[in-house]
Amino acid sequence: MKYYEVENGIMIYYLPCELDHYAAENIKKKSEAVFADDNVKYLIFDFEKTNFMDSSGIGLITGRFRRVHDKGGKVYVINVSDSIDKLLYMSGIYRIVNKCDTKDDIMRELVEGGYYE
Amino acid sequence: MSNTNEMVVEFSSVAQNESFARMVVAAFITGTNPTLEEVSDVKTAVSEAVTNSIIHGYENMDGMVRIKASVTDRKVYIEITDYGKGIEDVEKAMEPMYTTKPGEERSGMGFSFMEAFMDKLEVLSTYGEGTVVKMWKEIGAGRHPFE
Repeated sequence: MKYYEVENGIMIYYLPCELDHYAAENIKKKSEAVFADDNVKYLIFDFEKTNFMDSSGIGLITGRFRRVHDKGGKVYVINVSDSIDKLLYMSGIYRIVNKCDTKDDIMRELVEGGYYE
Repeated sequence: MSNTNEMVVEFSSVAQNESFARMVVAAFITGTNPTLEEVSDVKTAVSEAVTNSIIHGYENMDGMVRIKASVTDRKVYIEITDYGKGIEDVEKAMEPMYTTKPGEERSGMGFSFMEAFMDKLEVLSTYGEGTVVKMWKEIGAGRHPFE
């Protein structure tokens, strides 16, 4: 199973079916070395496979947000289902994280915003 | 004959059991004919409480987490108990965004989610002895966390 992918400073997390404390710790452990790389500035959390999440998922995203925000980065979520959207909305995370439909939309936004060439 | 159905399950305080815990409760309440959304709400609340027991109650050390649940008609009651370190200040712990473990990327939203997804929440804790989380939800009552 592929947990993440990094390309040109953009890191995509492919989140699991169930994003709980156990899964979140696993993701952090598996991706820490790559995530800690200074070049990683933009994060995309892909919820395509995710049908369950608790507040551990919120902790994962906000913790990672803090670290890329310091280097002027941005955080996105994609493929968010209604039930996941409810949790993200309730947590207030949309104040700091942008929701997009697809990865292409994010690429367009980054290029148009002059963040990325 | 009483129309109350009850169950008790106890398991080790390891993170792998978080999914087991919410599956067991989800399966137990199937008879109340919940919507997918109601099942998801209950699973999230159970997951929050069990995760708290594992991370905070036992601080990832060995221990047992106990879940007692009952269903009467469409009324669900869930009680999650640990015999860990307990909560020093329950009121403070229940504040949104409050966490004793900010360095570990905890969101501090656990109790807020339990409150939002269930109808009623009670937390009883004795410092040094453990914590009991009690939650109630009436299935089909149509209450929505946004309302």
